[in-house]
Amino acid sequence: MPLRNPITALASSARATIAGREISALSREKTIVLALAIQLFIAAFSSFLVVGLTSLYDPSAEGGEVAVGVSGEERDKLIRVAEEMQGVDPTPYSSRAGALAAFEDGDLNAVLHTRQVQTDQGARIAVDAEVPADSLETTLVIVRLQELLLELERQERAVRSDNLEFSPVELPEEQQDSDDFTQYFTFTYTILLPLLLFLPPFISGSVVVDSVTEELERGTLELLRVAPVSLTEIVDGKAIGMILIAPLQALLWLGLLWANGITVANVGLLLLLVTAIATLTTAVGLFLGLLTGTRQKAQLLYSTLVLLLFGAAAVLPEHPASTAALLAVDSASLGTLVHVGAITVVAGVTFALVRSYVDRLDPESL
Amino acid sequence: MKPRKLLRIARWEVQKNAGGLDRRTVAITVVMIVLFAAVSPLIAAGGVGLEDGIYRVGVDEDSQYYGVAQSDPTFEIVAGADERDLRTGDIELLVDGRTIRVADSRKGSAAYSEFRESVQRYNNQQLAGEANQTAAFPVEVTVEFREQSDPGGTDGQTDDGTTTDGGNGGDGSGGTDDGSTDGGATDGSDGDTDGGTDGGETDGGSTDGSGDGGTAGGSVGSAAPTLGQDQISGSPADISPPFPFQSLVLAFVFVIPLNFLIQAYGSTMLSERLNRRGELMLVSPVSRLDIIGGKTLPYFLGAMAVEGVIAVSLFYIAQGGLGGAISLFAVMPIVLLFLSATFLGAMFARSFKELTFITVTITVVLTSYAFVPAIFTESGAVALISPLTLVVRELQGEALTLSAVVFSTLPPLLTAGLFFGLGSGLYREEDLFDQRSLPGKVLDALAVPISRPRHVGIMTIVLIPFVFVSQLLAIALLFAVQQVSVQLATVLILVVVAVVEEFAKSLHIYAAHTHNRFERTMRMAVILGIASGVGFFVGEKIALLAQLVGLQEVATAEAGLSGGIAQGPILLLFLLAPLMLHVVTATISAVGAKGSRRSYLAAVTVAIVVHLAYNLTVVSAVA
Repeated sequence: MPLRNPITALASSARATIAGREISALSREKTIVLALAIQLFIAAFSSFLVVGLTSLYDPSAEGGEVAVGVSGEERDKLIRVAEEMQGVDPTPYSSRAGALAAFEDGDLNAVLHTRQVQTDQGARIAVDAEVPADSLETTLVIVRLQELLLELERQERAVRSDNLEFSPVELPEEQQDSDDFTQYFTFTYTILLPLLLFLPPFISGSVVVDSVTEELERGTLELLRVAPVSLTEIVDGKAIGMILIAPLQALLWLGLLWANGITVANVGLLLLLVTAIATLTTAVGLFLGLLTGTRQKAQLLYSTLVLLLFGAAAVLPEHPASTAALLAVDSASLGTLVHVGAITVVAGVTFALVRSYVDRLDPESL
Repeated sequence: MKPRKLLRIARWEVQKNAGGLDRRTVAITVVMIVLFAAVSPLIAAGGVGLEDGIYRVGVDEDSQYYGVAQSDPTFEIVAGADERDLRTGDIELLVDGRTIRVADSRKGSAAYSEFRESVQRYNNQQLAGEANQTAAFPVEVTVEFREQSDPGGTDGQTDDGTTTDGGNGGDGSGGTDDGSTDGGATDGSDGDTDGGTDGGETDGGSTDGSGDGGTAGGSVGSAAPTLGQDQISGSPADISPPFPFQSLVLAFVFVIPLNFLIQAYGSTMLSERLNRRGELMLVSPVSRLDIIGGKTLPYFLGAMAVEGVIAVSLFYIAQGGLGGAISLFAVMPIVLLFLSATFLGAMFARSFKELTFITVTITVVLTSYAFVPAIFTESGAVALISPLTLVVRELQGEALTLSAVVFSTLPPLLTAGLFFGLGSGLYREEDLFDQRSLPGKVLDALAVPISRPRHVGIMTIVLIPFVFVSQLLAIALLFAVQQVSVQLATVLILVVVAVVEEFAKSLHIYAAHTHNRFERTMRMAVILGIASGVGFFVGEKIALLAQLVGLQEVATAEAGLSGGIAQGPILLLFLLAPLMLHVVTATISAVGAKGSRRSYLAAVTVAIVVHLAYNLTVVSAVA
């Protein structure tokens, strides 16, 4: 009985009507459609921007070689290393001034001047690198130089391995056919995707706050109550509408990512997670809206509380954002699934608690 | 406008809100913010570990790579994994003796590059504990950033790492005023697009790797570059390309408080419109500017106080002294833009729900306006579109030219003024308490100040800052595209330019017609078209002033903002042609505007196509 009752109650037609009305009111307000369209546009653009930026930072994206002038005592050693590598085109110079002159003229992308520095434990190679300031190619130049110098460092370490207790782990070969997407793979799944998935639940809760406080402030709740529905039913209706709209938006984002060639695994579980979080935020929004009765107070409390909850989730063994990332990238472990389950349960319980608060609330007191 | 009345309303706003937000609410909020501050170190310390366990690797305990996988939480070690797991996608990497086998997927190849980096980090970590540090880190790098093709640049030797040589911070900054006129824009044909940036561009040689602390790339070694340094040094692993984390952090630090603020501001503005509450204020003997000014002032001052604290403390962290005045000045247009857009939104919105969505939209758009151009802080004039760039540069201790300050603050300031102006046109009884649709409200706002044909021209001029700002935003957003294809970016910019400009020239004409301000005759359409076209031409010439500051270094910007004007020998033709263009297209739209909405939209589309065709012709003729 206690289990069946809420379920049948939730499905009752009065609630469905109010939920339907909330959603259709939303879609009638063209502003919201517009706002969604703009969000979509910006999201599309920001992911586009990320791709554009990656091409700036990714050495394989730009075909051209970086022309490097090399001078100084360890010149030959450095040039030997550079010639084995791709993407760097070394030219020996007898003096640093000569190399710098060529750099000033724009014939070189970078100048490396090498010196031997004596320390009490032996000699060290000091490299003074000059790279262009304020140029988009600076990034590429530095990336290439870093590769070159890391290789030099690796070879030097090998030469001096007798003086080292730890023998460095062998560096795996560089991949040949990696596309420029690879570097931002992690970014897409661990930051962009959770952000896109958690934005709709946050907005849903915020809209519930608006919806409740507006009825209270305008006094239209009175009108709804004249109809043969209870306060609980009204509140349920508002909540269900807003909870359902969150996974729909999330689905939209996932579609957008998919269109950008980013495959997302476990869509069903992700949507369950989004629904659960939307239930949680909606419950918080409802509670605060009814408790304070004014938008200003409720919205302020709502945003700070939700931010706090999101931050505090860091104490969990797995942050919900991490859960979303692991599900999407298809690395979900058993712990991840347990997490989804636990969040769903917590959301359900919180919502039930808020409902019982509403049940006990005296409508006249609002 | 009477200051005394304005101040009284401001005081009421503060007092009423102090009542509206009772002590309990404020106390709870403060407690929550304190709690949030308490957990944030936990988050900042990487305690969240968003990347934890996203790649799975099969490796035996006796393998040399076991320690690597174990030390990096990004990797999860799957015990007893074999080749079959690799094929079914249950692991991404399988260490097989000395070789590493990779799953045939994007995820696999991402895991592999991540693992390579992890190996390097692991080696450096282990070697940091060695007794012989010279053998452990046999190579030492100092990277210095230097202007190319800058005569007189060969000063001195670099000495090791720690000392920064004085000259660099300031010397380049004089470059903007003279260097930009002959701008590199046209010589961008050498394959890599950024031709403009090397032509005597703003700041001297300062690039630094990352923001404060946590974002620095290197795990060992001394020198994580900090704000205000123009060298990076350390072992090769420590040098990392400049990445705009800094401006990202800044954008969030400055913009997040504004989001809370506009929520409260939007609420108070909209609640005036609920249940005719604002009626009392409207019938009292104060002007509506007093009301709006009084209700806005506390929020503006509050925002500036908060931003001031942020600016001064950031400056203190970065430079170790007192300062931040320019930062504060640079943030002001952003604050005003947020407030004015929210005000206009609150005038348009019919309900709290609508207001929330409008607020979200405002936040998203303005955050990208502040943030996206600032990404390119190190790479030229496009960055100056965002006032945040001024903040970044001040924090780095670079000199700023007056023209740069004007260029990045004036357009948003004027746009904020425009928004306030349009909104205050709606601050009257028939609009405040009316439930009209959003497009209707927009048309109302535009039609209110128009009663004579010349007002159409003036209105067009007034709309220019908005046109300018939206075109700048488009340029910044398309800057990344420019790296891929200059042609595509130019065409896209021109499309945006044509669409925005044609609507800016004609929407208020249509609005005036819906309010029956003018006769719907052909003669009137031509008069209005000429008024609007001439107005736009005049306004554009004023806006050109901003262009002289140096935006023309960005190839696409030139094509876009000048409306296709080239600095050619036949000056007269080049002056007259755009005037003709604007008049003709505005007249086309004006003819359509006297009819229904459909005929207006059709006419604007024709005007856009004409405009686009003209621009494409000019651009291809010049190039």
